[in-house]
Amino acid sequence: MGKEFEITYVFTLFIKLLSALGTTMFIVVASILLGVIVGFLIALPRLYNIPVLRPFSQVFVSFFRGTPVLIQLFLIYYGLPEVLKLLSLDVSRAPVLMFVIFTYALHSGAFISEAIRAAVTAVDRGQVEAAYAVGMNSYQAFSRIVLPQALAVSIPVLANIVIANLKDTSLAFSLGVIELTGKAQTLVTATQHFIETYIALAGIYLLISIGLEKAFNKMERRLLSHERSAVQKAEERASYSLLSSYKGFVTRLKLGKGGSGL
Amino acid sequence: MKLDVSFLLDVFPLLLSALPTTLLITAVSVSVGFVIGVVIASIRIYRVPYLYPIAVSYVTFIRGTPMLTHLFLIYFGLPLLVDGLASFAGLSFRAASIPLIWFAFISFSIMAGAYMSEVVRSGLLAVNRGQTEAAYAIGMNTWQALRRIVFPQAFATSLPILSNSVIGMLHGSTLAFTVSVVDINAKAQIVATTNWKFFEAYIAAAIIFWGLTIAIERITGHIEKRINRYNRGGVA
Amino acid sequence: MIKLTGITKSFGRNQVLKGIDLHVNKGEVVVILGPSGSGKTTLLRCINYLERPSDGQIVIGDSIVDCKRAGKQDILQLRRKSAMVFQQYNLFKHKTALENVMEGLVIVQKRPKEEARERSVQVLEKVGLGSKLDAYPSELSGGQQQRVGIARALALEPEVILFDEPTSALDPELVGEVLEVIRKIAKEGITMIVVTHEMGFARDVSNHVVFMDGGVIVEEGTPQEIFSSPKEERTKQFLKRITPEWSYTI
Repeated sequence: MGKEFEITYVFTLFIKLLSALGTTMFIVVASILLGVIVGFLIALPRLYNIPVLRPFSQVFVSFFRGTPVLIQLFLIYYGLPEVLKLLSLDVSRAPVLMFVIFTYALHSGAFISEAIRAAVTAVDRGQVEAAYAVGMNSYQAFSRIVLPQALAVSIPVLANIVIANLKDTSLAFSLGVIELTGKAQTLVTATQHFIETYIALAGIYLLISIGLEKAFNKMERRLLSHERSAVQKAEERASYSLLSSYKGFVTRLKLGKGGSGL
Repeated sequence: MKLDVSFLLDVFPLLLSALPTTLLITAVSVSVGFVIGVVIASIRIYRVPYLYPIAVSYVTFIRGTPMLTHLFLIYFGLPLLVDGLASFAGLSFRAASIPLIWFAFISFSIMAGAYMSEVVRSGLLAVNRGQTEAAYAIGMNTWQALRRIVFPQAFATSLPILSNSVIGMLHGSTLAFTVSVVDINAKAQIVATTNWKFFEAYIAAAIIFWGLTIAIERITGHIEKRINRYNRGGVA
Repeated sequence: MIKLTGITKSFGRNQVLKGIDLHVNKGEVVVILGPSGSGKTTLLRCINYLERPSDGQIVIGDSIVDCKRAGKQDILQLRRKSAMVFQQYNLFKHKTALENVMEGLVIVQKRPKEEARERSVQVLEKVGLGSKLDAYPSELSGGQQQRVGIARALALEPEVILFDEPTSALDPELVGEVLEVIRKIAKEGITMIVVTHEMGFARDVSNHVVFMDGGVIVEEGTPQEIFSSPKEERTKQFLKRITPEWSYTI
């Protein structure tokens, strides 16, 4: 199977793979940004207990966390055009990348909405009461008091969602998108150096994951600068080798019904 | 929308024929992964010299890279290793005779091991030191203390994340199609392409996975309620 | 009978116990007093090997353990001769009050379940919890939890029960019920070593008071000797500091 193993190929293939890095990162960034919007829209009905929308939110979250992202990818790629045809919209010529980003936005959005809910509930009720006590209205209380605190709490969870999203983008190759994994497939066919290609591919993902976690850690420390013990915790986590930090992992697993991490 | 409802109903039995494969992959990877997880977690908790950095790198690597790359690395790398070893040992065994599903078993187990190690570790670390001390104080030996006191409590606390890991492996098993294993997802692809009914096939697949996920959640929820009776609160 | 000889214990460079000799007769109630950091809790934890002493010898009944050469079996034997009541109760969270008491009888002492249950119910009734047999620790007040802790120790019929500040974690209004139980079992002639800050309790219940400071026993004697006419300057100062606010009796 393939050609003999040559370590030097790992480096040359690594460089070649980088040409697809942009596509992967574009999917990640676009789908996370959209996912944050989706997440808020889905979280609000449950946070504020809005009658009709609440069960819709629940089903949405349950579905996108309860089915494999690969199935979602196919379902949206093949199903969305059919649904939109009903509204006499023709998207059959839309680029595949659009479907991919849309899928990951909905998928991440479900997880983000849970993260938002958890973070907002984590903010001490007394904080809101204190905000009302000094005369803030509910919008001020939310934006000035609850949101900044909730954001800090949710950073480790968000970090995990983003990294999971990055890893999930590898599935986009199955629809023919030339992101990192898709590029790796073409290189494999061209060079027949299977192992070298996949080692290089794993190396790139690993570097991005580690980089992302470092960045999120820094952000968390900045947002938590008011809490000394929490900052120490964040620092411990950083010094620990990111990906093996278990608190963030646990929080994500708690929020994550499967799929996203794998 | 031309959603063919009668076809949709016909698809279910077809897809369900692949259910055993999906469940088998999930069960194997979760069970083997759990064993690996216990070993890795012990190495990390007791900071075993030499093995500790290896355990940490293993977990870091697995969690920092997509499941798909593990599968490819095993699928293409393992035969090289096996054939190399076999010819070195003068055996006639060749990697080509390994059933394809074994590549899924092996790579998903390695993957699950990294996640399970964190599940086990967090569970064990959550058990208060005082509980072990009390066990020793009434005269238990280490094994009795672990079996009677530490494990039950660790299991109770890590049950929710354990259930999520199982669901994760269930969803992850859909990748097996890349090594030509026919699980539910692969079956959906086959049905979709032969009948040119993609939408129906994937709706059916999604519903099956959704149902399985909800079932796993329900079951763990039930177990949790039963074993967590002791946490029913009251005065501290 | 319990005999400690030359017990030392160091954490890193910090020597917490600097050679402790202590003799406790059967049926005696010994109270260990001392400022925080004096090593009294460490000493107690050394007696049943929750801390491994650096050196010295521990004798409980017919178990003799040489701390430098203690093997696993020696430690287990020693532990099975003593029982401990913890400051934080440390009840097994996942077991009911009854199961907490039965656990040691069934698993460690290998008694038949029915016999263990009978004995456990009896002991729980003695500490006034006959109506809480099936309650989990999370459903009990601190005082009730500590009484289960005492029952758990008592049921094992050990040679000695070690009490590590048994009332320090309790709300003030719950201290009384726990001290009352300890007082009751002390009268039954069970050997006890108690680390506590409850001066009233020490004065009324104990036969022997040990004052520790800086990892050594500074002074020991009958409660009258220690409380009415302490000889050492450090004892006098400690008592002067602590007595006014702790002088209530129950």
